[in-house]
Amino acid sequence: MAATHIDDKIRRSDALSKARGEAKYVSDYFFEGMLHAQMLRSTEARADIVSINLPVLPDGYYFISAKDIPEQGVNSLHMIGDDWRCFADGDVRYVGETIGLFVGPSPAVVKSLVDNTRVEYRPKESCITIDDAIAVKGGSLLDGKDDDIMCQLYCEKGHDMEEVFKDADMVLTETFETGFQEHVHLETNGAIVTEEGDSYVIYISCQCPFYVRKSVAALLALPLEKVIIRQTTTGGAFGGKEHFPDVLAGPLLVAESRIHKPIKMIFDREEDMEFSVKRHPSKITYKSAIKDGKLIGTLGDIYYNCGAYLSASFVVLQRGVFHANGVYDIPNTRLNGYGMATNTFPSDAFRGFGAPQTLFAIEMHMTHIARKLGIDPADFKKSMFLKKGGETVTNGHVVEEVMLNEMFDNIAKESDYYRKSREFGYGTGRGIGVSFYNHGGAFTGNGEQAIIKAHARLKKTGNKVTIETGSTEMGQGFQTILRKIAASTLAIPMEDVDYPNPDTSVVPDSGPTAASRSTMIVGRIIERCAQEMKQRWGEGDFSVEKEYEHPDGFPWDQSTFRGDAYLGYGWGAAIVEVEIDKRTNEVQVKGIWTSHEIGKAIDELIVHGQINGGVIQSLGYASMEKMENRNGRFKQTSMSDYVIPTSMDFPAQYYHIQENPYPYGPYGAKGMGELVFNGADAAYCDALERAIGKDIFKIPLPPEDIEEALRNA
Amino acid sequence: MLDNKISFTLNGKMVEFIGDPLRRLIDTLREDFNLIGVKEGCGEGECGACSVIKDGKLVTSCIIPMGAVNGADIWTIEGIRETELGKIIIEAFADGGAVQCGFCIPGMVLASYVLLKDKENPSELEIREAISGNICRCTGYDLIVESIRLADERRRNA
Amino acid sequence: MNCYIPENLTEALEIRKKTHAVPMAGGTDLMVQAKKGIGINPAFKTPIMIISYLSELKGIKVEDDGTLVIGSLATSSEIADDERVFYPIRKAASLMGAVSLRNTATIGGNIANASPKGDLPQPLILLDAELVLSSIDRERMIKVDDFIIGAKKTVLQDDEIIKEVRIKPVKATHYFYHKIGTRKANAISKLSLSILADVEDGILKDFRASSGASGDKVKRSRDAEMILIGKPISEIASHIDEFTSAWDRILSPHAMPQYRRESTRRMLSDFLIKLSEGAEPGIYE
Repeated sequence: MAATHIDDKIRRSDALSKARGEAKYVSDYFFEGMLHAQMLRSTEARADIVSINLPVLPDGYYFISAKDIPEQGVNSLHMIGDDWRCFADGDVRYVGETIGLFVGPSPAVVKSLVDNTRVEYRPKESCITIDDAIAVKGGSLLDGKDDDIMCQLYCEKGHDMEEVFKDADMVLTETFETGFQEHVHLETNGAIVTEEGDSYVIYISCQCPFYVRKSVAALLALPLEKVIIRQTTTGGAFGGKEHFPDVLAGPLLVAESRIHKPIKMIFDREEDMEFSVKRHPSKITYKSAIKDGKLIGTLGDIYYNCGAYLSASFVVLQRGVFHANGVYDIPNTRLNGYGMATNTFPSDAFRGFGAPQTLFAIEMHMTHIARKLGIDPADFKKSMFLKKGGETVTNGHVVEEVMLNEMFDNIAKESDYYRKSREFGYGTGRGIGVSFYNHGGAFTGNGEQAIIKAHARLKKTGNKVTIETGSTEMGQGFQTILRKIAASTLAIPMEDVDYPNPDTSVVPDSGPTAASRSTMIVGRIIERCAQEMKQRWGEGDFSVEKEYEHPDGFPWDQSTFRGDAYLGYGWGAAIVEVEIDKRTNEVQVKGIWTSHEIGKAIDELIVHGQINGGVIQSLGYASMEKMENRNGRFKQTSMSDYVIPTSMDFPAQYYHIQENPYPYGPYGAKGMGELVFNGADAAYCDALERAIGKDIFKIPLPPEDIEEALRNA
Repeated sequence: MLDNKISFTLNGKMVEFIGDPLRRLIDTLREDFNLIGVKEGCGEGECGACSVIKDGKLVTSCIIPMGAVNGADIWTIEGIRETELGKIIIEAFADGGAVQCGFCIPGMVLASYVLLKDKENPSELEIREAISGNICRCTGYDLIVESIRLADERRRNA
Repeated sequence: MNCYIPENLTEALEIRKKTHAVPMAGGTDLMVQAKKGIGINPAFKTPIMIISYLSELKGIKVEDDGTLVIGSLATSSEIADDERVFYPIRKAASLMGAVSLRNTATIGGNIANASPKGDLPQPLILLDAELVLSSIDRERMIKVDDFIIGAKKTVLQDDEIIKEVRIKPVKATHYFYHKIGTRKANAISKLSLSILADVEDGILKDFRASSGASGDKVKRSRDAEMILIGKPISEIASHIDEFTSAWDRILSPHAMPQYRRESTRRMLSDFLIKLSEGAEPGIYE
């Protein structure tokens, strides 16, 4: 068989087993004597628990709760902070909070035990929205504080904003809002816990097996290596399986320590939708100074609804703030970020990780400024692009050549943007819109060096090579990408490279599969491992393990958020064309054109699929994906209430990939999985507001909300 | 009147089910017949992950009670993957980049099979309609549509 | 025993009379309402009778006088694919849920479920469709509009089964059907509207409309329709406001009232303007 070259068109290594229905997801595992678990959850947003009245437990059935955590253990799921409790104890802080776990042989009986348990509460006034949290409704949710600000930061550069506003020709203040978004990975969350020897083993659908291990071991005061995490084939994640699997694994581990039999817990869709993390809703106000046709300053107040516990919210908020000036060189800025504690289900990672909210807001704001200046939004935006060496909001610098002009030219030509922009005008029922966006690759600042220090390993056995990393395949194609990098570097056929799903007792910790870091960071480590292995190929069977090496020249101070927030950015441009039925406000998308600069596409077909999927998720976010929270309870709890796009909702996409090799990534590649989510929403809304002739300030916008926009504007 | 003994054809073989006629077909297929290619995505017939072919038509096995399948001819991915057309579709899905997380894909293959078995050279719209009950969160559908077209081409040239 | 599986109609009617077991056809509503989770059998509050095997309730036929008879077990796919079925019904059936749902869901089930968002009752009520309700002791006919009395409420007696739907041919030159779904396919109705017009020699001989998902049941008003019936086409334009206002008064949307009312008004106006401008006979969306 021929050696694989990096530019070869290859088949995904997991495609056949998945298409044949042979791939085993966590729900497909059945162990001898396996029990089933279901959560007893809070039905109140904020309340003290007065009593828990259990039904009579039949033989072989268990109720597990905080009292089952041993004395030396801690009732907390360690994520970035330690505030999220494994089991609510004494009080509850959101609807759906885990109070206990029923376990037993029959799922039906377990379910009836949950249904027949009466928890008595003493409800307290709850705080649900960002505005509630700003008003500290019901009193602070945070220990020892008198406000509901769970986390905060600011970034500034240039002159004092008061001076800048005095100097301006025009000051424009606008507020934008974005809603919850549910991941709807087709595979719901699920896990199985069992024992092997003196270790616990957790089979789990997840992005980050080492996160799960770190999060749950302290519940039983175990050394990390006594908890083994085996990632099972993961049916989509999008951030929804970054920290959230901890919330399943924790209670299961405690149950296992009492019951010592395999225990399985698979959420059904309703549970997965009603009781899982979501994208952070946001409320973002920009006050902008415009002078001589340029945006010279932004003062931004950025609020994210974090829900009841921190999880990854502070990092999400940071990314939101760092992306809040979009792809624009705005000389003066002050950006204040506030993560608000509320009694909603904790918000957490979702593709884009905080960047989509601010990017949506700044794009719409730029569009509105352009329209006020009487300039085509594309031209106004182009006049403000960051360039190589340009200063970012964290006083860092753009390291790569910014190729947005070339990218826009490509899609403007393909879409006939300027002609349509002129001809459609404003309020005619047709519109074409444009957006520009970027996404910082990998962990913020020096996080890769200071926090994670990823490791990855190649193991040679005869002529075969096995990849050993903690990075996971969740659909994005990483098992294929990494095989391709290894095979191409080793000059061997891809078929001779294996990459099993990670088992934490076998593989080194490569950091989480998140933050668009896997190809850029872990891919690069594997490339380096392969380079060494190639040199030593004749040595027989051996392994090469390498640690992440931080490139020089990216200063960062995590205490002040100053310096180079990211090692490099992916860049994007999107154009969307719409037509609206003026009778019913139904929107028909007539065309979608995107261009993305991702360094290099390791595999064009995989990148193509990521672009298509990210863009459609973003268009869903802007148009139909409406998730409301009433009194702490999500109103949409099924796939018929919370709708995501079907094959009929959007037309086939035109895509363009801009090459611009990145010096620190494998074969010049940068991150791309999140970038492709970050901008189609704003292009859609630009097109829509041109079609309806009214400004748009919030998403999502199903037809009934367009009606509102038409009435209110 | 039928009782709690249900006979049907499963992937070409006669089988029998004895039990509660209200048990969901999906549970029987997955748990009693170990056909794990049938996936549960929503439990309410909305997402298509649990699609099977019943008497030649695409149906969602999560909302069909066992009592309604007596005498039926049921095909799951485990049977379809061994057919000529099934193999062509699966290979085309692999070559065309249709597969990402894979959870919707067995159902998607079955929807494609039902389309292609009766129709040559379907239009893009016909393909999109045929898979419109099969929700995919990963791909944005374009490469699935392309892969179905590829399968049709290969089948016609075979 | 909580589940019966009769093999013919007589057997089914006997069981129905004796046990009041709820008939389940495709199960697309009932199975979802009763679901308990993965690996758990659905839990029904009443005995269930699976009626899938009753051949007496299957098929679509046209009688000599042109009356269309749709067996209550006819699926949405069968209805959508049958060219003999009158346009708004066929169109509504073709837009109901997903492909697989249409292969399972039946017209009888969709009527008996009586959801305000149900797809088929709306065009059936437009066309004055009637139901044949069978019991072991008797058979009776009732208009769909009289059968459904509110959200999830019907006058089905506990010994009755919906046997078939009967629709007399209606003379019409213009049809309009529009469903606003939660998305472009596989969608639940947010709002739907059917219109039928019969223009002869420049006179609007008949005019009907029906609104789905606009209240606790499908909305129709012969009084409002009478505002337009009999008018010359040339005079229609001057009655649009009067008609749409009258129509608006019969709507009682629970959620998104403004949107539902305004969209309905705009769709009606748009169609009537076209009609008044001498639109060609045919189908409008």
